[in-house]
Amino acid sequence: MKPGPGVRLLAPVLLAVAGVGAGLGLVIRLDAQRSARPTLDATLSVAEAFGAGSAEGFARALTPRPFAFPADHGPHPAFRSEWWYWTGNLREAGGSGRRFGFQLTFFRVALAPAAAPRRSAWGTRDVYMAHLALTDVASGRFHARDRWARAALDLAGASAEPFRVWLGDWRAEGGGRSGPPVRLRAGEEDVRIDLTLGPGKAPVLHGERGLSRKSAEAGNASYYYSLTRMPVSGEVQSAGRSFAVEGLAWMDREWSTSALAPDQVGWDWFALQLDDRRELMLYRLRQRDGGVAAASQGTLVTADGATRTLDRDAVEVLVLDRWTSPRGGTRYPARWRLRIPAEGLDLLVTPLLADQELDVAARYWEGAVGVEGTGDGRPVRGAGYVELVGYAARARGPAEAVRQ
Amino acid sequence: MTLLRASVRHLRRHPGQAGLSLLGIALGVAVVVSVDLSSASARRAFALSAEAVTGRATHQVVGGPRGLDERVLVQLSREAGIHPLAPVVEGWVSVQGAPGRTLRLLGVDPFSEAPFRPYLGRGAAGIPTIGTLVTEPGTVLVSSETAAELGVGMSATLVLRVAGRARPVRVIGLIEPGGARSRQALAGLVVADLATAQELLDRPGRLSHVDLAIPSGSHGEQLLARVRAALPPGAEVVPAAARSEFVGALTRAFDVNLTALSLLALVVGLFLAYNTMTLSVVQRRATIGMLRALGVTRAEIVAVVLAEAFLLGVVATALGLGLGVALAGGLLRLVTRTINDLYFVVVVRELALSPAVLAKGAALGIGATLLAALVPAAEAATAPVGDAIRRIVLEARARRAAPRAAAAGLAVLATGGLVVAGAGRSLALSYAGLFALILGAALLTPLAMVGAATAAGAALGRLFGLPGRLAARGVLSTVSRTGVAVAALMVAVAATVGVGVMIRSFRATVVRWLETSLVADVYVAAPTIRGGRGGESTLDPDVVARLRAAPGVAAVGTYRGARVTSPSGSTQLVALGIGPASYRQFRFLAGSPETVWPAFQEGGAAIVSEPYAYRHRLTVGAPLRLRTDRGERAFPIVGVFADYGSDQGVVMVSRRTYEAYWDDPGVSSLGLVLAPGSDADLVVQQLRARAGESQDLLIRSNRALREASLEIFDRTFAITAVLRVLATAVAVIGVLSALMALQLERARELGVLRAQGLMPREVWRLVLTQTSLLGGIAGGLAVPVGIGLALVLIHVINRRAFGWSIETTVPADVLVQAVGLAILAALAAGVYPAWRMARTPPAPALREE
Repeated sequence: MKPGPGVRLLAPVLLAVAGVGAGLGLVIRLDAQRSARPTLDATLSVAEAFGAGSAEGFARALTPRPFAFPADHGPHPAFRSEWWYWTGNLREAGGSGRRFGFQLTFFRVALAPAAAPRRSAWGTRDVYMAHLALTDVASGRFHARDRWARAALDLAGASAEPFRVWLGDWRAEGGGRSGPPVRLRAGEEDVRIDLTLGPGKAPVLHGERGLSRKSAEAGNASYYYSLTRMPVSGEVQSAGRSFAVEGLAWMDREWSTSALAPDQVGWDWFALQLDDRRELMLYRLRQRDGGVAAASQGTLVTADGATRTLDRDAVEVLVLDRWTSPRGGTRYPARWRLRIPAEGLDLLVTPLLADQELDVAARYWEGAVGVEGTGDGRPVRGAGYVELVGYAARARGPAEAVRQ
Repeated sequence: MTLLRASVRHLRRHPGQAGLSLLGIALGVAVVVSVDLSSASARRAFALSAEAVTGRATHQVVGGPRGLDERVLVQLSREAGIHPLAPVVEGWVSVQGAPGRTLRLLGVDPFSEAPFRPYLGRGAAGIPTIGTLVTEPGTVLVSSETAAELGVGMSATLVLRVAGRARPVRVIGLIEPGGARSRQALAGLVVADLATAQELLDRPGRLSHVDLAIPSGSHGEQLLARVRAALPPGAEVVPAAARSEFVGALTRAFDVNLTALSLLALVVGLFLAYNTMTLSVVQRRATIGMLRALGVTRAEIVAVVLAEAFLLGVVATALGLGLGVALAGGLLRLVTRTINDLYFVVVVRELALSPAVLAKGAALGIGATLLAALVPAAEAATAPVGDAIRRIVLEARARRAAPRAAAAGLAVLATGGLVVAGAGRSLALSYAGLFALILGAALLTPLAMVGAATAAGAALGRLFGLPGRLAARGVLSTVSRTGVAVAALMVAVAATVGVGVMIRSFRATVVRWLETSLVADVYVAAPTIRGGRGGESTLDPDVVARLRAAPGVAAVGTYRGARVTSPSGSTQLVALGIGPASYRQFRFLAGSPETVWPAFQEGGAAIVSEPYAYRHRLTVGAPLRLRTDRGERAFPIVGVFADYGSDQGVVMVSRRTYEAYWDDPGVSSLGLVLAPGSDADLVVQQLRARAGESQDLLIRSNRALREASLEIFDRTFAITAVLRVLATAVAVIGVLSALMALQLERARELGVLRAQGLMPREVWRLVLTQTSLLGGIAGGLAVPVGIGLALVLIHVINRRAFGWSIETTVPADVLVQAVGLAILAALAAGVYPAWRMARTPPAPALREE
C-alpha cells in the first residue's frame, strides 16, 4: 500500500512550523539576553556645582586659640570639616608577633553653615564618613571599608562628654571623663577591630599653638592636635581568625573650613613613632607645579613630651621607590629617606605592604610603615603611618569627597 | 515553478477572494499581536520602574499600613550592625497644571545609595548637588525627559499635588539616562532627599521600606536572622522581588483573559484560511486533475497548495504585524487605564516593540495558515487523474460527511465539557476546554445546515416560489464550501453573544450590589492616584472633624484602606467604622448577620469578601493570619460577603479592632448619612465650602459615586468590547469572502437559469435569500452556543479568575443583535454577486466556462 498523501504532506508542514518555531526561540533568547543587561545608568546635570571654596558662614582658623580637653575631643560644628583619625601598628600578643596595621577614621563634613528647620528628623547639614583599614602583614592582606551616614536620628555623630564618635555600629567611646582610654570598635564581615587605647603622652599642639597653616592665605589653616603615643591592647579579626594584639596608636584631630590653596593638589603625611620614645609628624603639601608648599611643616615630639616645630626646609625627603596601583594605575611614592639634620635623624621609611590603597569613594594610599635608621648616631627603629592624598584621579582627599 | 506560476495566476484571477482572506488572517494576527504587545508594554514599564526603585536590593524590610517606623533603621544600623542599608520613602504624586500626569516620588538617603541604586549614588561623590538636596527643603532631581515633558528647566518650580495638597518643589538637577532602557526606567521619577520626601508626602517618622543587600548562602542566612531579631513586631523582611511578583500575580487573570479573547480572533481567522484554501482547491479540481494526468505527482500538488498557504500566511502576517503595532498603541491606553483603575499605578509612555512578541505573532500567523491548509492540500492530492470529480459527487460526499463531522463534534464537545469541569482552578485549562466547546459546536454546523436547509426549503418555496426553493437547495448543494464559512460566522457571533451576555450579567450584578452597598448619602475622600480601594491618601484630621460637625449630617461612617501582609502575601485591609444603620450594606454569602455584627464590632473578628475567600480558600470559622503592628495575629472569620470592588478581595475589620492592632489614626474616606429630608446635592455644596482649601476633596453624592463606579466598570470592559468587535469584523470579512466567491462561481448555474427565463429580479431574490439563509443558520446556531459560552464564562472562567459569583441575565437585545448581525453580514455578502449576475446577460455567463 502506498503511503497516503497525509503522511507525505505532514513532513514539509512540520518542517516549516519547526523552522518558524526555532526562529521564534532564537529571537526570544536574544531578547532575554538583551534584557539581562545589568544596571540602569544615568548621569546628573546640575544647576550649580557645589562651590569648593564657599566658606561663607563657617568659622575659620585664623589665630591660635586655647585648647581645652575634653571639650576639644568633641565636635566643632562651626567649622566645615573635621576628623578623628586613629592609626597604629600592632603585634600579636605573646605568640608569633604577627604584625598588623589599623586605621579608623571618622570625618564630619557640614554641607551648609546652618541647618534649615525641618519637620523630618532626617533633615541635617552634617554628614559623617568613616574609613576602616586593616593591614595583615603576614598574609599580605589589606582590607579597607568605608561608610557614610548623615548626622540624624543618631545614625552618626560625636560628643565630647562622654567622648563618643560613631557611625552606625562603628564607634569610638571614651572610658574616662577626659577622653581616653578610648575603645574603638568597627568591622564588617571578616574584618574587625576592638581596641582599647590608653592616653600615653599629653596632647601635642601642632604649628603655632595648635594653629596649623596650610598656605600663605589667612584662614587656609586648621586647628590640629595629636595624641602621639597611645598604648593599645585588644583584638583584631582578619580572614576569619581573631588575634589578641598590642602596640602603639596615634590619634590626629583636625578641624577647619578650608585648608588647601587652589594650587595645591594633595599632601604626604608621616606619623612615626621611634623606639627612643620620640615621635615625628610631617606633612608635605604638594603643589601643582611639583614643588612642596612653603607652609609644609612637621612636629618632633621628644621623649619627655616637649615639641619642636620643623619648617619645610628643616626636613629633607627623598623618594626611593614608587609603586603603581593595579586599580587605575596611580603611581605613589613607596619608600623614603627622611633626614632632619638639626635633630640628628636619618630614617628609612618602608611600607609594610606595597598595596595599602583605600579603594573607597575617594581613592588614597594610607598604610603602615616600618622605620629604621639612626638617631644622634645610634641605631633607631620604629613604626608609623603614611598618608598619600591627591595622587589618584578621583577626589583630592577623603573630606573633599563628601563635598564634591 | 510552472505550478507556482499557475497558483499566482489563480490568485490574480480571484483578487477579491484572496484579498479578503488575507485581510481576515491579518486582522486575526493583528489582534493577537496588539493585545500581547500592549500588555507586555505595561508589564515592562512596570518592571523597569520597579527596577529603578528597587535597584540592587535583594530584600526589603517592610512595615504596616503606615510603613515603617524610621527608628527601625537606626536599630538595624547601630545595634545590629547591618550594612549596607538604604531607607526609602516613596509615593505617587500628580503635577499641578498637567492633569493625568503621575510621577513617582522616590525619597532616598544619598549617602546610602551607592550599593543599591548606583545611578543615584555612585559613592555619593558623583552628585555635586547632594549638599543642596540634603540641606535645602523642597529640592528635587527629575529625569531630564520628564522635565522636558513638563516644560520645567533647571531651578524651576514644580507644584506637586499629594493627596489633594499642593507641594511646590524646586528642580535642582536633571537625571540624564544613559540609554533607552534607563530612559524608560527613569521616566516619571522625581528623586528627593529622604527628609524632603517625608515632608512632601506628609509622613514624618515613617519609611516605606529599608533596602538590604543580602548575599546568598549561609552567611546571608545568618545576616537575615540578625535582621529579623532586630525588628519590632510590626516589621518583616521580604525578598525584594516579592513586590514585583505580587504585582505580576495581580494582573495574571486579567492578562489570561485578554490573551484568550485575542486568540478567539485568530481562531476565526484560522477558519478563514481553511476556507480560502478549500475554496481554491475546489475551484481548481479540474486543473489539478489535468496536471496529475500530465505527470505531476501528488507530493508536488501538496507542495504547491502548501506554498500558496505559506505565501498567503506570510503576506497576511506581515500585514497583521503592522496592523497589530498600530492597533497596540490604542489598546495600550485601554490596558493601562484598566490596570490603573483596578490594580496598581503604572505609567506607560511607549509601546515596547518586543521582538519576541512580534516573532510569536508571526509564528502563530504563518503556522496557523499552514495548519489550516493541511486538509485542503490532502484533498487536492486525492483528486483523480485526468478529470475532476463532478461537483455533485463532491457535494454528496460533503453531505454524507456532515453526520460524521457532527459525531466528531459531539465527541469534542464532551471532551471540552470534561476539561472545563475538571480544570480545577486552572484558568488556562478552562480556556482550553472552552475552545474545545467552540470547536465542537463548529463541527456540528454542517449537519445543522443540512437539517435547517431541508426544513426551510418547503417554507421558502411557499414564500418566494422557485427562487426560495432554489435557495434552500443551493445551500444543501454547497455545504462543502459554505460549511466552514458558516461555522466561522457562527463562532464569531457566538463569541459576541457569550461575551455580551457575560458583561451584561456582570454589570447587572454590580448595579444591584452598588445599590445595596452604598448606603450613605454623601461620600468624602482624598484624591488617590490609584482607583478603587484604599490608596495611601488620608483625610486631614481637622477636615474630618469639621465634616462630622456639619449641619444636616446625621451619622458618619469612616473607612480606612490599608495594605498589610499575611502569610499568603499582600492583603487589602479595610477598617470600617460604621453604625448598625449601615449594616444592611452587606449581603452575606456565609455567616448570618445576627452573629456577624457583634463579633465584628466587639470581638475582633474579620469578614472577608467572596473573591478573597475563594482565592485563599477560606471560609467562616477559619482563622485569618495578618501581620499587625503587634506581630502576626489570627483573626477569626465570621462572614463572607458579596463584593465586586476588587478581584483580589478585601478583608474588613472594625475600626476598633484596627486601632487595637495597628497604630494608624488615618481615615481614607467618610460616608455621611444625612438627616431625613436633606437634599444631598445641596449638602455636598455646603460641605465643599466647609471643608476649606487645605486639601482637595472628592465629595460625592451617593448617586455620583455609583455613576463613577459604573464608569470604571464600563471602562474596564472597554477593551473586551473592542476585542469582541474585532473578532466579529474578522468573521464578517470571512463570510463576505466565502459567500462572494461561492456566488460568483455559480455564475454558470445562474446563467442556465436565466436562459430558462429567470428574471434579474428573481436572481436578486435567489442570491439574497440563499445568503441570508446561511446567515440565519449561523445566527440561529450562535444563540444557543453563545449562551452556553456565557454560562461557562460566568460560572467557570470568571469564578476561577476572580472568584466572583454573577447572576446570569440573558438580555434579548444581545441575542437579536447577534442574529441580525449574522444575517446582515450574509446579506451584504450577497449584494455584489447578485448585482453582477442580474446584470450579466445569460449567454456570456454560459460561455464563461
